[in-house]
Amino acid sequence: MPHVAVTALGVDRPGIVAAVTGVLMRHGGNLEDTAMTNLGGHFAMMLVVEVPDSEGAEALEAALVDEVGGLGLTVAVRPIVEAPPDGPRGKPWAVSLYGADQPGIVHRVAQKLADHQANIVDLSTRVVGPGPEHAYVLLLELSLPASADSDRLAQELATLADELGVEIHLRPDDADVL
Amino acid sequence: MIKPVLQLPNRVLATACEPVGALDDRALTVARDLLDTMRSAEHSVGVAAPQIGVSLRVFCVDVTGHRKARTCHGEVVLFDPVVVEASGPEIGREGCMSVPDLTGDVARFTSLHVRGLGLDGEVHDYEVDAFEARAFQHELDHLDGLLFLDRVVADDRVFRRRVYR
Repeated sequence: MPHVAVTALGVDRPGIVAAVTGVLMRHGGNLEDTAMTNLGGHFAMMLVVEVPDSEGAEALEAALVDEVGGLGLTVAVRPIVEAPPDGPRGKPWAVSLYGADQPGIVHRVAQKLADHQANIVDLSTRVVGPGPEHAYVLLLELSLPASADSDRLAQELATLADELGVEIHLRPDDADVL
Repeated sequence: MIKPVLQLPNRVLATACEPVGALDDRALTVARDLLDTMRSAEHSVGVAAPQIGVSLRVFCVDVTGHRKARTCHGEVVLFDPVVVEASGPEIGREGCMSVPDLTGDVARFTSLHVRGLGLDGEVHDYEVDAFEARAFQHELDHLDGLLFLDRVVADDRVFRRRVYR
């Protein structure tokens, strides 16, 4: 069966998940990978949903807008092509960054990782503390190809940390299967 | 006998196990099956009875050669194990043969004193630390019907398993 990507965003309030997933269920959808979280007071939903062949993305979006529009959500449904089963194989690493906020932190870290062919697989950031002097925390998971030089990447991230005046740590992130 | 390792959503994995009590033929057979299954599964460092479909409080562990191991008691089989003392929680990432595709960050004690019956029917005490302590706690959880998914430190600390080892 085909898959669609559903995104919904709106000011957080009780009942958003129940309402959106209720519409999807009534239209024969089956939730697969999803991420839903509160971002700065807005509730953001990203869902990969398996839908019946008869259920088009446009019709599903119209149904969502009709049925949950009252919650003030911005909703979009798009068809997605079947993803390849696995991305490029690499070693899992994690990056943690924290320090005073400033524009460009995420981009400069991401660009450095891209330069090393690292694939970011998960990333979240949080503004911490009140006022203009607030701190910024970035946590990300990446997959580093076998050909990449992790020592060099760590050195370059340390240099970047000095330029930005923040702390950046790179560490192996491998799991033990017990 | 090598047994298939059960995976989610098999309900045996979510069921607290019965105590063994006296070591009878059934208990010893389960222990042998656990060892055969652990030895057959590449890189397996432990198997608990519910993972092979038996709701009995027994597991085996062997962390020989693991790079994160400090204490290493070789192949250990424990019936009716209990934690006598534990200290020093530390977060580490775990996967499980019964939970394909996912890993998660789990806090475990780094130092552990566990007591149980061995294959010889005698009471054995094990003082374990580091990775061997993590393995013991992972298997102990199986006996209580718990998976690492029940222990993850936060709901956003569960991950797709990307490297099989």
